[in-house]
Amino acid sequence: MNVLVLDNNDSFTRNLEHLLVETLAARIEVAAFADGVRRALCAAPDLIVISAGPGRPSDYPGYGPVLDSGLPVLGVCLGMQIMNEHFGGRTDRLPGCVHGRAEAIDFLGRRRVVARYHSLYLSRVAEDLEVLAANHAGVPMAVRHRTRRLLGYQFHPESFLTPDGGYFIEHAARFFGLS
Amino acid sequence: MSTRPDFSACLDPRAFVRLAAVLARDPGADLFLSGAGLAGETLGLAGVRPVSELIVGPRTRTHELKEFCFSGPGPALGFLGYPFGLGLRGLAGFKTSLFPLGHLKKYAAILRHERGAHRLDLFCADPILRREIVDLLGVGPGPGPEPGLEPVHDPGGPAARPEALQQSLSREGYIRGVERVLERIRDGDVYQLNLSIRFSAARPDLDPADLFFHLLSANPARFYALFSSGPRRLVSTSPERFLRVADGRVLSQPIKGTLRFDPAEGPTRARVRELLASAKEDAELSMIVDLVRNDISNNCEYGSVRVDGHKSVFAVDNLLQMYSNVRGRLRPDRTCLDLLPDAFPGGSVTGCPKGRALELIEDLEPHCRDFYCGCFVMIMDERNMDSSVAIRTACHDADTGELCFYAGSGIVVDSDPDREYRETLAKAEKFLELTRT
Repeated sequence: MNVLVLDNNDSFTRNLEHLLVETLAARIEVAAFADGVRRALCAAPDLIVISAGPGRPSDYPGYGPVLDSGLPVLGVCLGMQIMNEHFGGRTDRLPGCVHGRAEAIDFLGRRRVVARYHSLYLSRVAEDLEVLAANHAGVPMAVRHRTRRLLGYQFHPESFLTPDGGYFIEHAARFFGLS
Repeated sequence: MSTRPDFSACLDPRAFVRLAAVLARDPGADLFLSGAGLAGETLGLAGVRPVSELIVGPRTRTHELKEFCFSGPGPALGFLGYPFGLGLRGLAGFKTSLFPLGHLKKYAAILRHERGAHRLDLFCADPILRREIVDLLGVGPGPGPEPGLEPVHDPGGPAARPEALQQSLSREGYIRGVERVLERIRDGDVYQLNLSIRFSAARPDLDPADLFFHLLSANPARFYALFSSGPRRLVSTSPERFLRVADGRVLSQPIKGTLRFDPAEGPTRARVRELLASAKEDAELSMIVDLVRNDISNNCEYGSVRVDGHKSVFAVDNLLQMYSNVRGRLRPDRTCLDLLPDAFPGGSVTGCPKGRALELIEDLEPHCRDFYCGCFVMIMDERNMDSSVAIRTACHDADTGELCFYAGSGIVVDSDPDREYRETLAKAEKFLELTRT
C-alpha cells in the first residue's frame, strides 16, 4: 500500500508517519502542503492523509482537487476541518479549547480514549458529512462523507495519549476498503 | 576518543572537581560536569588546550559540523545557539547579534571522569602536556580554599546595584506578551509557546569560573558546563537533557511542569502530589512529549519510538520539575548529527507546533536568544553523544564586563500571566541573586 501524507507544517506529522507504517506496513511519503497536492494527484496513492497543523482551514487553500479526486482521504484535526469547509461546513473557536488532554469518547459502540489538541472545532457540519462520534459536549470527534471515501478525526490517533492509535488507522483502512 | 586512555588513575569525585577547578583557570579548560549526589549522571569531561575549533556562522551547514566532529580522534565539545536552529528552518536574520551561532572544539587533552567508579582517564597524545596534567594530580588542596567544594567566597567582587539590572521585558511587557500568546492559542496557531526575558547587569570583576564552581556546589544539577568562546565564558547549570545517543539508543528527557517549593520545607510529598495533580502542567508536558517523539522520529527506526517514566518528578533550584523519557533507536543510515539538527531547538523551549511557535517567538521577544535555549553538546562519534538544553545559563563577557542570563516559561491556554512571570523569575533566581547587593 502506498500512503501519501500531506503535511501542513505540523509538529506531529512524523508521529503520524510512524503510526501509519506500524499499522498498515505501508510505503509512505511525506510531502509539504504547498507542493503535496499536485504530487497527490499525479502519484494517485492508495491513501492520502491530510495532517493537523497550525491555523484554520482557509490558511490552506488548494485541497479541493484532492477531496474531489475520488482517492481515499483521511483528515486529522485541521485535515478534518479542511474537509468540512470544502463541503460547506464551518470552523470556529472552541470555547475552552483543549490541548494535550486524553478523553474517552463513544466510537462505534465502544468507549475509546483519544488525545485532543484543538482550538477550533466543527461549529457547523457540512450536509455531505455524517458525524460518527462526538464527545460528551457534542463536539464532533469523527466524521465521514455520506457517499465518498473521506474520513476525518478531530482527535490525534498518533499521540501517545491515544492508547490504541492503531485501531483508528485500521478502522480507516477498513472504511476505505483497503484491508 | 581513542578507546585506550594514555593515562588512568583512581580519583574521587572531590579530587576531580578540584583538578577541574585548577584546569578551568589555567589553561582555561572547558568543563562538562554533573552536580554531586545526582543518580545516574556520573560522567565528567574536561577539554584542555583546543587544537581545532569550528565557529558556527550563518553559512555553516550541517555537513560541516559532521566533518568537524567525525573526522579525527577525540570528542568535540561545545554549544549550538538558538539562532542556529532558526537558520536550519529558514527563519534567521530578524535580529542582529554579535554572538556566534555555535562553537565546537577538539582538544589536545581530554579528561574523562566516572564518578561512580572513581576513575579518571586522560587522553592526550602530547607527552609534555600529559606530564603537566598528571603532575597536577599529585598536588594536594594546598593553602587557601578548596575551589568548587564550598561556596567559600563571593563569586566576584561587589554586586551591581539593583537598578543596574536590565530586563528585555518588564513585568508589564511580559504579561502583555503572555496575553498575546493566549490569543494566538485561541486562534489555533499554537498550543504552547515558551516566552522568555533577557536579563543583564554590569559585573566587570566577576570571575565566571568562580561562579561556576560556586553554583555547582550550591545548586547541583545534571548538566553543568563551563565553556569559553572568545572573550565570553558561558556558565550553564542546566537540569535538562536534550538528546543522548548511546550506541544508537536515543533518549530525550523534556522538562515541563514547574512548582516552586519553600527551601526551608524542601520538596515535600504534598508539593509533589500537587504538581502531579495539576491538569495544566500535565497537558504542558504531554504536548511537548508528543513534539519530541515527532522530532526524533525522522531519524529513528519505525516502531522504536516510545515513552516511559511519564511525569517523573525531581527537585532542582528550589523547584519541582516534571519530565518524561522519550526513547528511540537511531536508524542505521543516520548519525547523531542528523538527529540533533532535525530536533533543534528542543521542543520544551520553543512550543508547539514548532514552526509557528518559532515565528511567534521572534515576533514577541525583543531580544535575541543567542546561546539561551540552544544546547551544550559532547559528541563522541557518529552514534554517541550527550547534550543539554541551554537553560539556567549565564554568559560573562570579559571585554564588556556584562553578565547576561535568560529565563522563560511555557504558556498554555490556561496560563495565568502573572503566575508565569513569577515562574520565570524563580528560574532566574540563582543569577538574579548575583545582581543584588
